Amino acid sequence: MSVATAPRARLARRGGWPEALTSTDHKQIGLNLGACSLFFFLLGGVFALILRTQLAQSNMQVLSDNSYNEIFTMHGSTMIYLFVTPMAVAMATYLVPLQIGAVRLSAPRLSLAGFWTWLAGGLVMESSWLTADGAGRTGWSSYVPMSNSTNTPGVGQDLWVIGVILVALGLTAMSICVTVTVARRRAPGMALLRMPVFTWTALLSVLMIVAAFPMLILAMTLLFIDRTGAGHIYTGFAGAIDYQDLFWFFGHPVVYVMFFPYLGGAAEAVAVNAHKRWFGYTAFVVSIMMFSALSMAVWSHHMYTTGGVTNQYFAFTSTLLLVPAGIEYFDMIGTLIGGAIVLRASMLFALTFFLQFLVGGLSGVFVASPVLDYHAYGTYIVVAHFHYTLFAGSIFGFFAAAYHWFPKLTGALLREGLGKLQLAVMVIGTNLTFFPMFFLGNDGMPRRVSRYPTHPEWGTLNLLETIGAGIIALGVLIFLINVIVSLRRRIVAGDDPWLGHTLEWATTSPPPPLNFEAPLPPVRSYAPLLDLREQQLDRERRLEGAPA
Amino acid sequence: MRGGAIAILAWATVLLVLFIGNWIWDAKPVNAATAAFAAVVTYATGVALWLARREALRPGPPAPRSEPESVPQSSLAAVLIGLSVGTILFGLAWANFLVYFGAGILVLSLGRLVLELRSERATRRRLLGEEEPR
Repeated sequence: MSVATAPRARLARRGGWPEALTSTDHKQIGLNLGACSLFFFLLGGVFALILRTQLAQSNMQVLSDNSYNEIFTMHGSTMIYLFVTPMAVAMATYLVPLQIGAVRLSAPRLSLAGFWTWLAGGLVMESSWLTADGAGRTGWSSYVPMSNSTNTPGVGQDLWVIGVILVALGLTAMSICVTVTVARRRAPGMALLRMPVFTWTALLSVLMIVAAFPMLILAMTLLFIDRTGAGHIYTGFAGAIDYQDLFWFFGHPVVYVMFFPYLGGAAEAVAVNAHKRWFGYTAFVVSIMMFSALSMAVWSHHMYTTGGVTNQYFAFTSTLLLVPAGIEYFDMIGTLIGGAIVLRASMLFALTFFLQFLVGGLSGVFVASPVLDYHAYGTYIVVAHFHYTLFAGSIFGFFAAAYHWFPKLTGALLREGLGKLQLAVMVIGTNLTFFPMFFLGNDGMPRRVSRYPTHPEWGTLNLLETIGAGIIALGVLIFLINVIVSLRRRIVAGDDPWLGHTLEWATTSPPPPLNFEAPLPPVRSYAPLLDLREQQLDRERRLEGAPA
Repeated sequence: MRGGAIAILAWATVLLVLFIGNWIWDAKPVNAATAAFAAVVTYATGVALWLARREALRPGPPAPRSEPESVPQSSLAAVLIGLSVGTILFGLAWANFLVYFGAGILVLSLGRLVLELRSERATRRRLLGEEEPR
């Protein structure tokens, strides 16, 4: 493949930074949000490395107990509020208008204001490090009464609460824009059941944000009022349970917000690299709708051990999640069967996403059972479970999407060799870090402790996890090097390097300001470009006199 | 049903059924309120989709749009609105003067937003006016 100079991203070049920061183009807003959340990912990763250093051996003295609490709180908060969720919204903001054939996003000013509100929230949250009392230190869920002003005094925790409110406001605003865009700006022919797989996953994610994030805003606002002493809202046992109900009404759907768009990205990568349309499309759409509805009805499975919820109902709905999850795996396997599979980096990341998420999903079956959850609650089993869903799952889905759509964003290809090296390194690192946590948790090691008793097995397993975390960091470094190398020494991607199925591949790379310069192809299915190619093949066969 | 509202309304109905199940089981006011909010938001989205339904979807290439549409390229007002909301809330935790400072910027940025919208409308009217003689 020859190396040549490709046109750089046009938006950034036209008016420089001021233009890029105030642009209402959905692509620029998506890029800005994605770039900022990637920065926060690196920051959250540094926090994780510090945590793992502290836990490498029992009784390490890298951090004080208080600092450890701050670091694990800010690690979780940074990753969830400032990376995985906003990256999902960034992907939706950038890609959904392109995939549905829209020239722009609806209410772009609201989206831009949402981005800046989110960024302000992130900066406010991280600014809590600069306070005398230190950063927020009550976990990303900030349970009461632990997070009230008596038990956690200081402005640092206040700033954390305010930061979360701003982040939720910003992401809700941006999600409204994506929802309205899907409703109002689909190209002619683009019925809902002809929308690409990624667009469906993005739509359900933003709908869940719109329906669930206001509860987070409410929970945090009431907590702030409590902390300032202006009201006494979360008092006693009932207050604590009410807070948890409000928080987890947001907290569980957000897990799926952090999963669906990456699932959609991985599904697109699988279908394109198998040169087949996504198998069982309608069943897939119904299943992710069921998935998202159920995900909004399982929130109290995080509260089994409180004694304040009805375990039977939440165990039932949580176990039902298996059905739509199974359909997704069935669809993925159906897409692969009979396909002309090309094992590009995006495909490999996508397949790894499905495999590793399976570990997270199956361990979820165990913690969905109240009886088993009493054993697992508060131990490293839970940490392993959600890291297998969010890191081993979503982050691998993110990288699949990154390798798949990077050419569309920049006009340049990422290096395949480096991508495969990154995958190998990250698979080793991820499983070395998170799999031993199942053993530690089963053995009773509690989560959120800065020190643990001297124990031959715990010491070895924790050391392995710390080594694994370092290997993950190496994998992320390889990705960053790949991005820098690929942008500096460009390999021209062309408009459609993978023979894509969806409308974003029908425009230039990167797309022009109004997305499409040429007329859109007819939309007769969820894979309009594949339809075109198949029709062309049919025509050629007919001309040659061969049977169609 | 046009506009694809049926999918969202179906999702809202599944949500409602699940929430009714929850209500039957534990009848907690907080749960009922949060669940009702989510169901209402989803139904509202579905109804909005239904009301915004378009002409029948036909196969074939899309017909060219004749009506001009104003597309904002950038918006300083939106940036300032986002930052001023951040400043106001930051001020609540950090220093009261920031609340007033943020409120001032918010008012100014709302004014700027009005100017931006008016200018956009004027451009569109001018465009329409220019096209009419043709």
